[in-house]
Amino acid sequence: MLLPTSVRFSTYATEGRYVHTRPQAVWLAGFLLALTILPQVASLYATGVLTVMFITLMAVYGLQVTVGTAGQINVAQSAFMGIGAFTAAKLSGMDVPFWLAIPAAGLAAAVLSIIFALPAIRVKGFYLALTTLAAQVMFPIIVIALPADWLGGPSGMAVEPIAIAGRMLASPADMYYFTLAGVVVCSVCAFNLQRNRFGRALRTVRDNELAAEVTGVNVAYYKVMSFFAGSLFAGVAGAFFAYYIRYVTTENFNLLLSIWYLGMLIVGGLASPLGAILGTVFVTAIQEVFHALGDSLLAAFPNIGGGLVFATSNVILGLCILLALIFEPRGLAHRWGVLKAAYRIWPFPHS
Amino acid sequence: MIDLTQVAINGLLVGLVYGLVAVSFIVIYRSSRIVNLAQGEIVLVGALLIWTFTLGVKLPWAAGVPLALACCVGLSFFLERSIFRPLIGQPPFTVFMASVALLILLRGMAQLVWGAETRPFPAILPSGAWTIGPFILTKRLLIGAVMTIVLVELLHWFFMRTRQGMRLAAVAEDHYTALSMGISVRQAVAVAWIMGGVLGAVGAVVLLSGQIVSLSAASIGLRALPIALLGGMESVRGALVAGAIVGVGEAMASVYADPFTKGVSSQVLPFAIMICVLLFRPQGLFGWKVIERL
Repeated sequence: MLLPTSVRFSTYATEGRYVHTRPQAVWLAGFLLALTILPQVASLYATGVLTVMFITLMAVYGLQVTVGTAGQINVAQSAFMGIGAFTAAKLSGMDVPFWLAIPAAGLAAAVLSIIFALPAIRVKGFYLALTTLAAQVMFPIIVIALPADWLGGPSGMAVEPIAIAGRMLASPADMYYFTLAGVVVCSVCAFNLQRNRFGRALRTVRDNELAAEVTGVNVAYYKVMSFFAGSLFAGVAGAFFAYYIRYVTTENFNLLLSIWYLGMLIVGGLASPLGAILGTVFVTAIQEVFHALGDSLLAAFPNIGGGLVFATSNVILGLCILLALIFEPRGLAHRWGVLKAAYRIWPFPHS
Repeated sequence: MIDLTQVAINGLLVGLVYGLVAVSFIVIYRSSRIVNLAQGEIVLVGALLIWTFTLGVKLPWAAGVPLALACCVGLSFFLERSIFRPLIGQPPFTVFMASVALLILLRGMAQLVWGAETRPFPAILPSGAWTIGPFILTKRLLIGAVMTIVLVELLHWFFMRTRQGMRLAAVAEDHYTALSMGISVRQAVAVAWIMGGVLGAVGAVVLLSGQIVSLSAASIGLRALPIALLGGMESVRGALVAGAIVGVGEAMASVYADPFTKGVSSQVLPFAIMICVLLFRPQGLFGWKVIERL
């Protein structure tokens, strides 16, 4: 990566930093400040959209670990999110505080994901994707069929609101801050995971399994653990979603959503958590554009009615994934890097 | 005992008909090494095209169905040309993701063009049933099952005995090797997609004839996937055996286990079989043993 001028490393710790220069620190602080002020100035609708975007981002971070870093296909991210959401809903009904329920939800999703990752010991490639597909298909069938007093059956479960020091988090702005805190923690985890021993092992498994095995990386173990880590993010995202939406049903966690999360990651770029961020923001922006255009679209396609925004967004996202795969497999994150490098060495040319 | 046999026969017929859709997965994999997750959507588009050309524009089905099949060929050719040809030689991961993207693309397109409403599907195959001894055989399913067997045998002959079929097998083994032997991978992929599209539409005819068609018909693909996997992704004939096993198992589960499990066992069974196959015999019953392993 091209660094700003006058950045020198004398120790590994300085090289490992994310913020190297004062301007970078100022930008980061400004960005976080802007995110903090936003719900005070933005409309309720925009605050809600951003909250859902943050929750989605947590799930896409998880996908980035499993799919991007370890190279294992996972088409059940929204089912794992659902497991987290139902766990959180159940625990909130039992008066468990949120700071216990959220990690518990993450762990529940992560542990269950191991069952579907076990074939990783024997097979690779798309075969593994098929077990996650089975997980995604089986999730709603099983949740609905369980006794109604376990997980609410077909009608779903209500979630108790969060109380911090006796104060209920009820307004959209409160939930926004709560989710923002969660997404900041998840971001730190996701970025750090890339450069510790675990993340490096996953990347070796992705790039060359034989080389990984030879250098002492237990391939099967790390494949399963990539699902564990990825679903941990998904479960946490599901818990936040449950607390935000306050009522969970299996319809919130279907196959199409799993594909949407994958799409966000591919469009953004698989290689780094930055890709997850860019992809999530990009796809949310597209969705909101179509939402804003909804009325005029409805006039153009009068016979479709409800679900029109969803259908158009599906078409557009499908096209975006295909374009990304065919023309820019490294995703928006790579374009962003090129742009940054070009800015840094301007006026000298940069490819 | 008669009940048991009747349930088994029904399951067998349904399983064989789903086997036809499973074969459409297999021919695409068998000749281009692409697992097309969007096969259910191809079935859906095929079904909606048939609706358009028969009930939609009021053509008799003898004229409408061939027209719809021709459209399916065109669509498959277009998909191959625009999406899968640029991806030849890319890692399997990329190609798989392309099929996932195709899934939501086709689903959205189908909803934009045809809308989300439920429509009647033309009764192309005769309805009703034949009674043979104490057993009742649904005409539609029996004809479908016979059609599946005939088509599978034809495809088996094509893949095993003709020069063109052998070429496709070479492409399925390895794109680069096939290219260096002078085999056109492009042509193979195009043939594979056209066969997959047509088989999907034929599957739609058999499964939906006289029933209804809506966007949820795309789930046919998900139901057929375990059959394809159990039979082995390279074995056309395997789909028959696997279809029979899964079909009978599902029918048995729905009659004898569902009353105790709120209808879950029959729905979950195919996917449980799928996970077991992946854990214990990833190549399926009759697949090629040379699969990628650790």
